[in-house]
Amino acid sequence: MRALFVACFAVLVVLSLVAWQLVPPIDDQGKTRLVWSTDPNPVRQAQVDLFNKLNPDLHLVIDPNNTDQQKVIVQSQGGVGPDLFDCYATEQLEAFVLTGIAWDVTDELVSRDINVQSMVWPVTLSSFIYHDRVYGFPRNFGTNALWYNKNVFDEAGVPYPKEGWTWDDLIETAKKLTKRDKTGRPVRFGLYWDFNTTAELILQFGGRQFTPDGTKCIIDSPEAAEAVQLSRDLMYKHKVAPSPVDEAALTTQGGWGSGGMTWLMKGQVAMAYGGRWWLNLMRSETAKGLRLGCIPLPKSKVDTVIGYGGITCINRHSPRRGKALRFLLFLMSKPYNELLNDQADGMSAIREYCLTERFLHNPEHPEEDYNHVWLSLIQIAQPAEISPFLRGNEMAPLRNQLDLIKGNLKPVKQALRDAARDTNERILRNVRTSPRLRDLYEELTGRRP
Amino acid sequence: MSRGRNLGIGLAFLLPNLLGFAVFTAGPVAFAFGAGFTNWDLQSTEGLRFVGLENFANMFTDNQFWLYLVNTVYFLLGMPLAIAGSLGVALLLNANIRGLVAYRTLLYIPSVTSGVAIMILWKVLYNPTFGPINRFIEGLLGLLGIDAKGPDWLLSTNNLLALGVEKVGFVPAQFGLGAREAIIIMGIWAAVGGGNTLLYLAALGNVPAELTEAAELDGASKWNVFKHVTWPQLAPTTFFIVVMGFIGGLQGGFEQARIMTGGGPAGTTTTLAYYIYNKAFVEYQMGYASAVSLVLFLMILAVTLVNWKFGNKEVNY
Repeated sequence: MRALFVACFAVLVVLSLVAWQLVPPIDDQGKTRLVWSTDPNPVRQAQVDLFNKLNPDLHLVIDPNNTDQQKVIVQSQGGVGPDLFDCYATEQLEAFVLTGIAWDVTDELVSRDINVQSMVWPVTLSSFIYHDRVYGFPRNFGTNALWYNKNVFDEAGVPYPKEGWTWDDLIETAKKLTKRDKTGRPVRFGLYWDFNTTAELILQFGGRQFTPDGTKCIIDSPEAAEAVQLSRDLMYKHKVAPSPVDEAALTTQGGWGSGGMTWLMKGQVAMAYGGRWWLNLMRSETAKGLRLGCIPLPKSKVDTVIGYGGITCINRHSPRRGKALRFLLFLMSKPYNELLNDQADGMSAIREYCLTERFLHNPEHPEEDYNHVWLSLIQIAQPAEISPFLRGNEMAPLRNQLDLIKGNLKPVKQALRDAARDTNERILRNVRTSPRLRDLYEELTGRRP
Repeated sequence: MSRGRNLGIGLAFLLPNLLGFAVFTAGPVAFAFGAGFTNWDLQSTEGLRFVGLENFANMFTDNQFWLYLVNTVYFLLGMPLAIAGSLGVALLLNANIRGLVAYRTLLYIPSVTSGVAIMILWKVLYNPTFGPINRFIEGLLGLLGIDAKGPDWLLSTNNLLALGVEKVGFVPAQFGLGAREAIIIMGIWAAVGGGNTLLYLAALGNVPAELTEAAELDGASKWNVFKHVTWPQLAPTTFFIVVMGFIGGLQGGFEQARIMTGGGPAGTTTTLAYYIYNKAFVEYQMGYASAVSLVLFLMILAVTLVNWKFGNKEVNY
């Protein structure tokens, strides 16, 4: 019996050794390998190639499979995280800072005489600076604007939209472009309106989701209700934007992928609200023949949009963090930012690289005569609203109520009232259970919760 | 060979498995039990501290916890149909007919197919406008002269018990077919022909032929043979399937929520398992998530004990 056991054990050891030997070696050609956890955008590889070319002693590789925030945090806390990772919003940055994952590079930048605050668009600051300390740098940034498919407009004989138009103009235009078949099934919608962008409309209508200090949810204000009502009415009253059921139908109708970007490209929607980065797809072979225009949303009470982008941070636990810092410096360099602007992967966060003729009129894409729109919007952009009293993505009550509105299952005012009540309850519960949040709450409001 | 030596050798063989179990199962479970009594929060700057029953107190006043508990229990409603379906298929596959192996193989294919692929397929089937299920329903209604639209399935908060969306309770307007039923139907489809059918097939093979023959000779009808001979003989298997069904059901719903619905619409397909995941890995409230998982464990334990206490009275061993 003992011999059998030993033999089994020996076989297992031998098999393990064989398997270990069969694993193909990683060939970094003697260079230091850096892993960047980022999305698998088709343009990303060219950015990596440029970095590797400019830094011959380093070998940067992309890991597109571990980009989720929770994966980065858990892996990094376990000591196996990437050297560089992306974060996409202020609340994500806060999470990475508070978990001790993001490396504070303020002193490193100061020692190199780099003042990032003076370089970038103001809207970007809160996405990589937390409590006056720098934790990363934007690899791209941008805003949304209203794309329109010129082919669809021409086919319907509808004139292109012009700046200065109103919401009534937009709705009338969208009505003319909306088409259904004999059975009433949607063939084309005038507008694709991502309900998640309602947060932006709330700001434009003079409302807010939270008070500026984040201590209270005020999404039940009349201004916010007006904005959300418009979002809902686009689907159910004017019927110019797809409801969730219509979206499902559009997805099944054709082609690969889904979402406003694909539907705009395929002519299933005539207008869609999205970012400059959509050009990554719109310039591809699959979009051959597509002619696009771009315009800001109609003006409302407040002239603003929400700015967003990808921020790259360095893992504080990485043994190669000193070398990873060179990638952050690369993100601030002219070669990278010119490449980024040329690729239309959003736009550069650094002002001087956008205020150029090359940005406004890319010689390789002379048809893109709307880059001034992005330039004007980034200057009026503001960050997305957050409350420091809601941890992580703790927005479930709000999301659930917006789900009910989007599904036409609840009146807007009632849903927003419930959303505000539930979110405020959650804020107070967090404040009661966390000494840190309790102190912050007292500091901001001057009273105990 | 001495008894002690035998024991040593036996333990040596078991050691790799025991080590794996201790490190990857028992250890984390014990850790989670402890974590449920702490403020452990992945993104907190505060030190880890013992908070006693605070997480449990918060949980019992948390409206979402109760809603998702109701969702979890609601999904168990499909279990009797799934068991009946499994038994029916097993009885059919137990018959002596040509091509039996092919039938058995075909019916078992869904069990060896990737769950993700199956769920994506069902998502398309449930498309309210173009999905074949609604096409069939609308066509059928059309033949009956009824011009009606099929359910919105995965996009609808309706349900057959008219459960409310925001609070635990009944809301008549919510009556209908919706996302919860869509997932239950898919679950029944997956269960029929799956592992339970195999268990029933094995059990049917063990029913003594002399008992059924004796009953038949006494003039019993097929139904009476099944009711008075076969079914009692299957009781241990049924009992096992019910217990495992409860355990699996209470732990279930994660994949469906993650792949098909994102837990929506409006949280109607979020089960406790998906809620635990969201609390732990989306909101980073590890302590709270551990507390919920501890309560879920206790619920499963209680259901299993109740099953053992009352469910096996009819079991004929």
